[in-house]
Amino acid sequence: MDTLVAQYSRPMFEKENNYDEDQMDLYNPAPSMSLKFAMPPIAQPSAWLRAATDDHANPDCPIKIAHGTTTLAFRFQGGIIVATDSRATAGNWIASQTVKKVIEINSCLLGTMAGGAADCQYWLAYLGMQCRLYELRHHRRISVAAASKILANLVYSYKGRGLSMGTMCAGVTPSEGPALYYIDSDGTRLAGNMFCVGSGQTFAYGVLDAEYSYDLSEEEALALGSRSILAATHRDAYSGGFINLYHVKEDGWVKHGFNDTNPIFWKTKLEKGEFSNVTSEMV
Amino acid sequence: MNHLPQAWGRPRDDVYGAYDHAYLQNGPKQHTQSPAVTGTSVLALKFKDGVVIAADNLASYGSLARFTDVKRLRKFADTTVVGFGGDVSDMQYLDRLLNSLDIEEAYGGSSHTLNAQNLHTYLSKVMYKRRSEFNPLWNQLLVAGLDGEGKPFLASADLLGTTFSSPSLATGFGAHLAQPLLRKVAFDEEAAAKLTVEEAVEAIKESMKVLFYRDARSLDKYSIAVVTKDGIDLKQDEKLEKQSWAFADQIRGYGTQIN
Amino acid sequence: MAMFSQNPLMNGPNYSFSQTPSTAAAGNKEHSFYPYTDNGGSTLAISGNDFTIIAGDTRSTSGYNINTRYSPKVFKIGGTTSSQDDATLVLSVVGFAADGAALKERLDAIVKMYRYQHGKPMSVKACAQRLSTILYGKRFFPYYVTAILGGLDEEGKGAVYSYDPVGSYEREQCRAAGAAASLIMPFLDNQVNYKNQYIPGSGEGHALQEREKIPLPRNEVEDLVKDAFDSAVERHIEVGDGLQMLIITKSGIEEKYLPLKKD
Repeated sequence: MDTLVAQYSRPMFEKENNYDEDQMDLYNPAPSMSLKFAMPPIAQPSAWLRAATDDHANPDCPIKIAHGTTTLAFRFQGGIIVATDSRATAGNWIASQTVKKVIEINSCLLGTMAGGAADCQYWLAYLGMQCRLYELRHHRRISVAAASKILANLVYSYKGRGLSMGTMCAGVTPSEGPALYYIDSDGTRLAGNMFCVGSGQTFAYGVLDAEYSYDLSEEEALALGSRSILAATHRDAYSGGFINLYHVKEDGWVKHGFNDTNPIFWKTKLEKGEFSNVTSEMV
Repeated sequence: MNHLPQAWGRPRDDVYGAYDHAYLQNGPKQHTQSPAVTGTSVLALKFKDGVVIAADNLASYGSLARFTDVKRLRKFADTTVVGFGGDVSDMQYLDRLLNSLDIEEAYGGSSHTLNAQNLHTYLSKVMYKRRSEFNPLWNQLLVAGLDGEGKPFLASADLLGTTFSSPSLATGFGAHLAQPLLRKVAFDEEAAAKLTVEEAVEAIKESMKVLFYRDARSLDKYSIAVVTKDGIDLKQDEKLEKQSWAFADQIRGYGTQIN
Repeated sequence: MAMFSQNPLMNGPNYSFSQTPSTAAAGNKEHSFYPYTDNGGSTLAISGNDFTIIAGDTRSTSGYNINTRYSPKVFKIGGTTSSQDDATLVLSVVGFAADGAALKERLDAIVKMYRYQHGKPMSVKACAQRLSTILYGKRFFPYYVTAILGGLDEEGKGAVYSYDPVGSYEREQCRAAGAAASLIMPFLDNQVNYKNQYIPGSGEGHALQEREKIPLPRNEVEDLVKDAFDSAVERHIEVGDGLQMLIITKSGIEEKYLPLKKD
């Protein structure tokens, strides 16, 4: 009888001050980057999350996550060029014009950021951690193929939960030579010579495809990366700000500036005669 | 990835299902998530040596005035009064919870009792925890008493875990109707610190009366408590006095219209 | 055929942006629980050569109601005691106040714990990274807040870190967040970073020289903050009542409170 009663009755009140688990986290000096995430205690968390955060489907959604981008990377005889814009948008609001969309995973590996800014920052930092652990365990640098696969497998395990990222991993290793991979939050992982990712990708591809050749000199390759981003910032409203330019070589990457698009645009127009659709008259 | 620039990085309908606006407006339904039997406004006002708090004795079931002797002010440990607006069953649950807390604290052995500020912190954590579980306690609470330094303390906590403090507070309909009247006598902390008990009680009673004129879910029977360092003076069977309905026939749309 | 698969009229998969006119779902809406609300208000942070100022208005709203005229949005973080007298970091949160309070307490506990375990206060850089992972830990049930963290870096220079609700972050010169961010941020771009300011007579047309960026002195930054909020109060209903300013210098954190319009 008692068991029956116990089965069908509820306590008068629950212990509401049960914070033990939260408190244990504080005493634990373990790494703060973990795979433990708070979930809304409901049936379809991803649909709920999307309703709260997808500003494209519903411009009035309460939480706006930074989006919008043009990023590109291509292989050539001298290594890999990585270039991005620097604009972050939340709806129609330009949240920032100075985002660092090239993420320095370590001294030899670069990642690019497109889609959810936080997703890219967090998971590429997590990848950096995994790459360092690999180095400590195996006493050699991780291959770009392996690093990109860690990331791809990881985001694939979160498929359908609402992550949004389109990233490229670029690195040069003795075993692979210059290696470039594209990974996105659907779980896709592709090796390739050239990728453009983001809302301005089409514009960047247009310029890149027209001028690209594997035998480009270093100077030409850097100019092409910069020019492709410039084209995208000109035509895509969600791209703009600064051009972030990197060159990856076997002994690590080299940064080639974080430059304002506006003076570059006018220089390109006035000195080279490009962008003839725009008038140079100052009215 | 896709050639449509806008599509990039967006959830795809074939992966995530169509965009469902219902999730934004409702949230998915899991627990019973709407109040049934409800209490209306709670009003409170600080004065120079304490706080006055009041709430009527009605519990409504939708538009039905269902229970007319429900006491919505609750004493805690001779230091604090908690006023409950919103769902009555959740109020009774919180009442049991506070009873157990009171007993636990009394057995703790320390002579230190929880003051109003401590109690408000506790209650706001309970409310926030329950909202984070999507199983809210459907109430807005006012906590009245004295803080750690013996100064008047008045603060609110609601079903979302939102908290704030002010010289005068009013929940529900009172936030629209009574709060302006209370702010007139206590615009800021300095003004409240000059009020006498009589002035504060008068302002609260006047506000209760105005609420009864216009809040269709209110009652002329109410509870009122005055908390000072000397203890709590709680009266649970007050009746609104000196009502004047003379204004009613001057207003078109208020009551029966003759012409 | 694949290229038509995007066409909603052919029942192919759609993307979330509208390809056809979208209509709100019809029928009666059941009244049920939504765990967020917006409590309005705005915050602002500017870093200088040897100081950082973080400010926020003190109004708290629900809809058109003012909950209270004094509800701080700017908090000292990681002091040894609850009074936070020896704190070196400042966090501002704006958005959903309950989430903001929970975030503040969580970060404060972590930074206090760090001081206890390492015997030294946490650097802004480390705290900024930690705050990012805290926010990202709730990636699937976000804190509805825009946070800004301020302090002095290892060289003693002012540091401001700004966040989105799920933890993407960036070190910046200045940042405005919250309800009036869109009113304040353009003003800051112009007055702090001298965006679109040119030196008169420095050239013709495109040869005009940009005005050189110089680090602003503390009194000028304080004036900018006041002007920014006074202007925001004029044009935004959720901003007003009071301005709380925390100024971080190497000698500690100074707090200033100034009245704003209360209408």
